Amino acid sequence: MSLHADLTATFTAEGAQSFRIDAEIEVERGESLVILGPSGSGKTLFLETVAGFHSHDGPVTLSGQRMDDTPPEKRDFGFVFQDYALFPHMTVRENVDFGSRYHDDTRDADALLTELGVGKLADRYPPTLSGGEQQRVALARALAVRPEVMLLDEPLAALDVPTRQSLRDDLADVLADATAVYVTHNRTTARALADRIAVMNDGQVVQSGTPEAVFHRPNSPMVARFTGSNVIDLEDAPSIRSVLDVPGDDVVALRPEAVGFGPEGDVRATVERVVREDATNRVTFAVDDVAIDAFADEAPAVGEEAWLTLSDDGAHVCRPPAASSV
Amino acid sequence: MATSTETRFSLDGVGRVSLAVAFVAIQGLAFVGAYAVGRPTWYAFFMIGSTAVTAYFLRGDTFVVAAATMGSILMVALGLPLFMFVARQQPSIVVEKALSSDVHRMLYLGVYGPLLAAIVSLAFGVPLAHLFSEGFTGQQLVESLVDLPLVVPHSVAGILILFGFGKGGAFPNVTVLGSMIGMVLAMTFVSAPYAVNATREAFESIDDRLEYASRIHGASRWDTFRRVTAPLAIRGMVTGGVLAWARAVSEFGAVAVVAYSVSFFYPPAGGEVTTQHAPVFVYGTYLQGGLAESGAVAFILLGVSALVFLFIRYLTSDSTTTGGVV
Repeated sequence: MSLHADLTATFTAEGAQSFRIDAEIEVERGESLVILGPSGSGKTLFLETVAGFHSHDGPVTLSGQRMDDTPPEKRDFGFVFQDYALFPHMTVRENVDFGSRYHDDTRDADALLTELGVGKLADRYPPTLSGGEQQRVALARALAVRPEVMLLDEPLAALDVPTRQSLRDDLADVLADATAVYVTHNRTTARALADRIAVMNDGQVVQSGTPEAVFHRPNSPMVARFTGSNVIDLEDAPSIRSVLDVPGDDVVALRPEAVGFGPEGDVRATVERVVREDATNRVTFAVDDVAIDAFADEAPAVGEEAWLTLSDDGAHVCRPPAASSV
Repeated sequence: MATSTETRFSLDGVGRVSLAVAFVAIQGLAFVGAYAVGRPTWYAFFMIGSTAVTAYFLRGDTFVVAAATMGSILMVALGLPLFMFVARQQPSIVVEKALSSDVHRMLYLGVYGPLLAAIVSLAFGVPLAHLFSEGFTGQQLVESLVDLPLVVPHSVAGILILFGFGKGGAFPNVTVLGSMIGMVLAMTFVSAPYAVNATREAFESIDDRLEYASRIHGASRWDTFRRVTAPLAIRGMVTGGVLAWARAVSEFGAVAVVAYSVSFFYPPAGGEVTTQHAPVFVYGTYLQGGLAESGAVAFILLGVSALVFLFIRYLTSDSTTTGGVV
């Protein structure tokens, strides 16, 4: 079951400028496509448009069948919302069973809830559940109708970190064989769940490809920055230009994992900031006029001098000089 | 700042209720005392002073004390006439009126007519309110028309109805002048805005995503309205109905113009009887029998209205409408 959407849609909110979405995605059967983008990039509106909640131009096809004029209830999608959107006046079981009367082949609500670890909550009402529990119920509701395609709109965004991690693991299992479109602004989630990633900015898909391609070969400074790379304008960093095997004054994306440091190396740098991140430290170095991030298990002292080693493999030209004048 | 908004004496739920009961009891005793010695003016000052003192002891904040004092002056203007009205009733006349079959008929019509008007207002107002909550082109124009009765003097509303639907109006076969249809029409004209606006607010407070969730998991628009939107808006609809009913009960101007007295089927009599809508009846009694008689009728009407109001409030309280979850 493959999904293809090539949409344009314009949204006008009262008192705001109209916002235009013009984006194309292709999802193969059994594939998880993650739409990754900053807040306000239009990814949620795009997903809702694919679902049929907003009118649009251009085709949405499911397994080659056009469904542009098909109402949402006939599109055979499951949808998980960021804020759960559980029906507050129905019990958990009634929520999961909601779609059963409209579909011939549905999954048993209690079995599904048990599978997702919330079997004991079946008789409770959603407002009495925690965020993580509500999202598991919402996931069960979407899975219950055995949808051809799962659409997920930042389902982890409103959850605390431990809950997010545990639900992310479960989502990875659920999405392993499913055809899914998953919207998020979180690159860690994207990398964990995606077979392919489409980066969205300002209503358009600016790059799509495997996680490896998007994270290591970003095609623009925006994608590079959003996927966590250092973005270095070589014009501002002559000492880096002399080390990397890159011609001219390109803008280069450099993965922080590809930056090493120690008493010896290629480029002289000063430790500017150290931020503890889970099991490691993100160390920001000042080199010439630019800042470069690296990871280190042991944090150096701020103000300390160090030598950086930069790996050519981790560097990628993300904007050729011709484009830099634009 | 935080200290100024906290209560000086911490009160739990039970404490708050008993404090409120004590406050009301003291107010009642003070009024009875002041009335017994023939000095109701004293009570007015007592009410203002006691409110200020209570506010001071509970909050100790000059802003709150000032606001409570100003508010209590309005309460004197609203409450004192009510207290005086109740206190000055002559029981013998009240009993006489309470046993009068004319008054029984008036009360029946005074509840039944407005009930019909509230049902009509809801039946046609709920769909309109739903359209308003979704928004459409030209909405402001339609909204203005719906709200028109709120600003038009009600005798004018009655004249409008006679021009529109009376002799020579749009429906020549329908008699509105002096008929039950005319009375319900006049009541609906002035009470529909309340039904529409309250229901609309309820619809607007429902998250769009709940309706999206319903649609995407298989429910048509009709089913979504029936299973999700309407149950979540039921309190708003009932509130709208109650407001419309109450507005219709109190309607004088439009009803006096269109249907001063009407004939209707009265079950206890087993046939048609003729009487006037309650406010018109009270006015008629005032003109013919003076203040004491009309006061007794008004007293009975007030009691019945309050009972109906309390009954509906009970029916629509949290625990009886949504299983206590929203």
